[in-house]
Amino acid sequence: MPDEAEDAELESMLREAAAWLDPVPAELIQAATAAFGWRNVDAELAELVLDSLLDRPGAALVRGSGGPRLLHFRADLLTIEVEVTGTGSACELIGQVFPAQRAGLEIRHGAQVDHAAIDDLGRFRVEFVPAGPVSLYCRPASGGTGTAVVTDWIPL
Amino acid sequence: MAAGRPQEEVATLVRAAAAGDASAWESLVARFSGLVWSVVRGHQLTRADSADVFQTTWLRLVEHIDRLHAPEQVGSWLATTARRECLRAACAHGRSVPVDEAMLVLFGWSDDYSPEHAVLEAEQVQLDAARAERLWQALADLPPRCRQLLRVLMASPPPGYTEIAAALGMPVGSIGPTRARCLQRLRQQLAGQVSELASRAHDNQQAGREGTRAG
Repeated sequence: MPDEAEDAELESMLREAAAWLDPVPAELIQAATAAFGWRNVDAELAELVLDSLLDRPGAALVRGSGGPRLLHFRADLLTIEVEVTGTGSACELIGQVFPAQRAGLEIRHGAQVDHAAIDDLGRFRVEFVPAGPVSLYCRPASGGTGTAVVTDWIPL
Repeated sequence: MAAGRPQEEVATLVRAAAAGDASAWESLVARFSGLVWSVVRGHQLTRADSADVFQTTWLRLVEHIDRLHAPEQVGSWLATTARRECLRAACAHGRSVPVDEAMLVLFGWSDDYSPEHAVLEAEQVQLDAARAERLWQALADLPPRCRQLLRVLMASPPPGYTEIAAALGMPVGSIGPTRARCLQRLRQQLAGQVSELASRAHDNQQAGREGTRAG
């Protein structure tokens, strides 16, 4: 039975091999550092409460069998429901906020922000969102009383 | 920053970053990137998925940094988040990694980062390169839980047991015994490689002799 010293030696050999063969890519460290630029102090966080990929019973089994992916985000006073279709650089988001209200919508992805509008019935639609992490920022219409809400980041 | 216990230092960095201190954020990235990466790499995702999971994990922390229940446990929070995102990516795109990409996963990150390249960069002797590659191959052949645990153990700087437990979704108490068992399996795997090499060399010798006889 190998003793603790032998285990520790093997572990340090492994750590050396990892640092050598599989270091954290520099561009990812840069991206993680730059992520701090997305910090905001005024918006309330809407946390991801449902992702049909993971939360639908038997999700793994029905994968690929069609049907849009559903994402639900919840803040204290606002719920955002999003349906995702498409893949790659052509994801489409169709969404609804509750309670329904007109608002501005920012779609934050990569280093970019796209703008869209949420109509009086609380509906929105955004095309050509690229795959990768995305977050939605919901800004109350001018004259509105609500606070801004931002969703958790989620990869499409 | 005043020198204190590592956990206090981490909590101080989290609070400073939550207050808008970009250099504190950079220190957190420097301290925990290796951990997050090791969690992602243990799951053998595609290159694009690995990058997305890594990035999503850090973006999540940006939004959550001012509402962490235990700032000193931010490493465990990151490891847990990365593990869950790996599962999401596996559900979204399946677990299978294409063969050519599997080789990249095995031998490092990108086309221009081959082991040979790494050897040149590190200016190491050939023996070290061969040893590192043998270890890497043996690791890749382990069952998923062992591979994930050992890959997290390999993170630099070395993670604590609570972080490893979070990365694996296991109780802290079972990390020690599982580590010992997985290191043992790795030894067996390495021994298997050696005997396979030896028998292949033996076969080659035999084939060589027979070739001579036939010719």
